[in-house]
Amino acid sequence: MNLLEITNQTWITVGIVAAIFAGSALLIGALILVVGKVFKVNVDEKITKILENLAGANCGGCGCSGCSGFADKLAKGSACLSDCHVTSPEKKAEIAKLLGIELKDEERTVAVVHCNGGIENCADKFVYKGNPTCAANNSLLGGNKACSYACLGCGDCKAVCPENAIEVTGRLSKVDPDRCISCGACIAACPKDIIDRIPATAPVYVACSSKCRGKDVTSVCKVGCIACGICAKSCPHGAITMKDNLPEIDYTKCTGCLTCVEKCPRHIIISRKVVAEETPDTSESIEKAAE
Amino acid sequence: MATFIAIILSAVLTNNFITAKTYGVCPFLGVSKKTSSAAGMGIAVTLVMVLATLVTYPIYTYVMVPLKIEFLEIIFFIFIIASLVQMLEKIIQKLSPTLYGAMGIYLPLITTNCAVLGVTELLIGDMSAILGEASMNIGWAALYALGAGLGFTIVMIIMSGMRERLNCYKTPKALAGFPIAMVTACFICMAFYVFSLISL
Repeated sequence: MNLLEITNQTWITVGIVAAIFAGSALLIGALILVVGKVFKVNVDEKITKILENLAGANCGGCGCSGCSGFADKLAKGSACLSDCHVTSPEKKAEIAKLLGIELKDEERTVAVVHCNGGIENCADKFVYKGNPTCAANNSLLGGNKACSYACLGCGDCKAVCPENAIEVTGRLSKVDPDRCISCGACIAACPKDIIDRIPATAPVYVACSSKCRGKDVTSVCKVGCIACGICAKSCPHGAITMKDNLPEIDYTKCTGCLTCVEKCPRHIIISRKVVAEETPDTSESIEKAAE
Repeated sequence: MATFIAIILSAVLTNNFITAKTYGVCPFLGVSKKTSSAAGMGIAVTLVMVLATLVTYPIYTYVMVPLKIEFLEIIFFIFIIASLVQMLEKIIQKLSPTLYGAMGIYLPLITTNCAVLGVTELLIGDMSAILGEASMNIGWAALYALGAGLGFTIVMIIMSGMRERLNCYKTPKALAGFPIAMVTACFICMAFYVFSLISL
């Protein structure tokens, strides 16, 4: 049978071809419709509502692939609401109501780099001329900084920051607390694990991550913690304890009296109110102290 | 048995879809930055290739040839493959959400992939060079499609592995990014060229 030889008129031939296509299009369309009906996935309304309330930054800080993945996990109960640091507390309360759970009181947090080394203060172990990423630098003997807890300053954290809140000056990363949404992307990206979250209202932070003993620290860094423990002894509120040769600040006890900032001989505890304006001053005083 | 080996070797190595036939170059360059996504893409393409062949080959031989409308093959095949992928996506989403998460996102990209259309078109053509005395049937066709998919997956994974390693080295500024990927692709094609010297 030859469909096209039914007639020798061209326009009928065209019509037949068109009819074949219209017929098969209808058939396939119906088939897709049927398959779509049979294999319909029931999307939970709860998930869509949760997704509406999430910040929608898709930063991946919670460890899920975007906000939709996080909403999915929340609905299943396999994720904790506090894993998201971007969504505002009001919206979180809304989600908690949807999920029927109680929301713990949470403060806004920001990321901070626990290092104040950079070019000036911390010596280099060797000259690094490789690929300018921290990950590549770190893979060679733990990076070219003499201190193995130092910021490598290649800006892996800057590259992943969705809010452009990180700046690298003098091979030292610094987080702008006003822009930081505490998504945690930089914390995950840092090969040195020296970025951490602190409460946004924290008056002070420790600008060192070195777990080495005092002697080893002084040989490589001008502004490293020597674990003298003066801060822990001088704190009038008992908010500071020494752990792994580093002070640990309990922000629930800290009142912001700044005694530790004054007493620290190495100036590694930094007042966050001053940090933005008086960075040059502190480095000068450090040089004096080093002399 | 000889036909079996000839088909597999030809589809995977000597006539590899990416390196010898230059089909499916868009996913080869576009989705080869990470090994995980390259493997997902490769598996999705393999699955769609086999399924598309299983559907288009009988339709061509038992419907289109008797009706003498073979000249509509390309437009018909695109029709069939596109709708097949649509349905497949829905079915996978329902039956296995895990598989959908790993592979589902690549399915819409394959809808009009030239490698898939290429394999269905190739199989209705003259395959005597590979088959020898054996005649073409749907079993051999599906096997060839499977081999083509496997070859595609292998090249995708090699490419993504090389591109991942390249990230650890400094490339000259003029070559960074896409140009170096083209150079990498060239080396892979040259390596695969050697396979085409094998006579089956």
